[in-house]
Amino acid sequence: MSELQRDKIFESSGVSGTLKIVLHDVSGTLIRALGTIERRGYDYRDVHCTQRVDGDFDLLVRIEDIGGPRNLNILCNQLERLYNVVSAEKVGRRKRAERA
Amino acid sequence: MTTATQFARQDTEVLADREAKSGAQLLLEALERQGVDTIFGYPGGAIMPVYDVLPKTSLRHILCRHEQGCGMAAIGYARATGRVGTALATSGPGATNLVTSIADAYLDSVPTVFITGQVTSNLMGTDAFQEVDIFGITLPIVKHSYIARDPADIPGMVAEAYFIAAEGRPGPVLIDLPKDVANAVTTERHRWRPYPKVKPEMGKSAEIAKAEALIKDAKKPLLYIGGGIAQGDGVAELRDLVKRTEIPVVSTLKGLGSLESDHPHFLGMLGMHGLKAANYAVQECDLLIVAGARFDDRATGKLDTFAPHAKVIHMDIDKAEINKLRTVDVGLEGSLKKNLAALKPGRTDVDDWRKLCYDRRTEHAWDYKSPITSMKTGGVYAPKLLHDLSRRAPESAIFTCDVGQHQMWVAQHCYFDDPKDHITSGGLGTMGFGLPAGLGAKLGAPDRTVITVSGDGSIMMNIQELATLNRYGIPVKVVLLDNSALGMVRQWQEVFFDQNYSEVNLDDNPDFAKVAKAFNIDAFTVTRGDEVDAGIDRLLAAENAILMHVKIDTYENVWPLVPPGRSNADMMER
Repeated sequence: MSELQRDKIFESSGVSGTLKIVLHDVSGTLIRALGTIERRGYDYRDVHCTQRVDGDFDLLVRIEDIGGPRNLNILCNQLERLYNVVSAEKVGRRKRAERA
Repeated sequence: MTTATQFARQDTEVLADREAKSGAQLLLEALERQGVDTIFGYPGGAIMPVYDVLPKTSLRHILCRHEQGCGMAAIGYARATGRVGTALATSGPGATNLVTSIADAYLDSVPTVFITGQVTSNLMGTDAFQEVDIFGITLPIVKHSYIARDPADIPGMVAEAYFIAAEGRPGPVLIDLPKDVANAVTTERHRWRPYPKVKPEMGKSAEIAKAEALIKDAKKPLLYIGGGIAQGDGVAELRDLVKRTEIPVVSTLKGLGSLESDHPHFLGMLGMHGLKAANYAVQECDLLIVAGARFDDRATGKLDTFAPHAKVIHMDIDKAEINKLRTVDVGLEGSLKKNLAALKPGRTDVDDWRKLCYDRRTEHAWDYKSPITSMKTGGVYAPKLLHDLSRRAPESAIFTCDVGQHQMWVAQHCYFDDPKDHITSGGLGTMGFGLPAGLGAKLGAPDRTVITVSGDGSIMMNIQELATLNRYGIPVKVVLLDNSALGMVRQWQEVFFDQNYSEVNLDDNPDFAKVAKAFNIDAFTVTRGDEVDAGIDRLLAAENAILMHVKIDTYENVWPLVPPGRSNADMMER
């Protein structure tokens, strides 16, 4: 492991969770959303995408931060400013259990 | 998935048009409808259908000599005018040469539309000649982007692109146009619905009341302003707020000019090369009112030591900026213009704080005496030259600059009374920005004097744009500060790398005056301090483009300097 990797600023700061993102059915929107999540400092643990009856997509992602100052609420705001992203929100455990 | 977003404005006149038109024709007509008057472009294979139609339109096309020059000229145009800048290039290398400009526009939130040709649809994804996935390449650095799949989508797509580029927090939008779509003729016009995302007008009244209460209670309030003031058209409202409250003000690089440089309540630029009075004020304030700034690391230094005693009010058009790097006490999302006007806390009763700030400003004022020996032997001190130049230039003059030491000297020593007077690459820090941005600014604001300040490293990155100045007779005045080095890197190697100078020596530079003359640009060289006044006279009097090549000492540094990763309180001095 390099010095850089050992540096504690690159250790996860423990921000993790599941986001539900609703996307319009428009070319490029899915990759734009996924790219934003990764570029803003998160690794994926799980990605699931399904089309709804209204034609929009539900994107469910479980993510962990890669270090540095991270905040899932800010990430949701960054996702929501993308065009054709309808909404982005954190999903709590209860909601996930209900869905299951 | 569908090929285009379904939420654009559409005008009924377009929908009623049933004449058979090509995609290229629809594109250029759509640009004309948007009020575009100038396009900065460079032709090539995949974009040829557009160039075939171009002469039949009212659009003024400026042929820059490199696509990067096109992109940066479009940015200069946009920043000087407040309108959306437009750049056009072909596929493959034409498109990739725009990438730095797109990133620059993204980091500095400049309203721009970049249009790229693309190989024909059936060849996309086959690694065809001059094919790159510019849509994919630019995904992280655009506000939005499109691939046109059907010519009938183009009118709506263009309308939406210009709307998105300018609304809310501005930014770059890319339209990638395959050649077959540009050539295809259609009588169809697809309807695009109005875009539904409407940004909030201003913060909630309860939040505004909280902000006012914080201001009234503060003993050491400070305004920290950024580029969002100008982009949000909030200059007058900011000045009015400062007049009403008499709160001291510090500015980011991009916020300069929002308050006049000599305004009695202005302490100067903060951050890595900020003024001491500004940085000390930030460190000691108990309330930081942030307007249109984003806690950029060059402004804050080590973030957890920035304004350590302060509560924070953060006003921004982009809610994703609020709480991003600093947790705030009050966040006011929405129009800066309206939020600044809505704040009415009255004059703050903090005379001791004001006196402390203004005494420090006097104590640390520039003295324009260089510590290096060249001054004693009659050399040129660049900060003094820039100070004198900006005070002798017309009040409405625009300064564009490149990146490095000269950029910081411009920020520190030039006088600005409007944020549009200062066009610099703040977020991306793009060497090569100054010259094309200057020509774009001059074309956008032909009645204003445009002065481009560059360095010997930076100018070589887009020096071909001297040919564009000559071709169109664009009278930009270029001041080239030549220290025969990559000065800022050299300074850091001196200060932080034990004077281990690695690949920063440029003492084999060409004779820049001769180079300019080869482009048919008038030019002269200044080497001594006693030649500066006459040089400025000649520069300002020139009716055509002119280059003033100024030799300065290699070892002159930019001070103060906050070492990277340190607190703004730790300013190094000469």
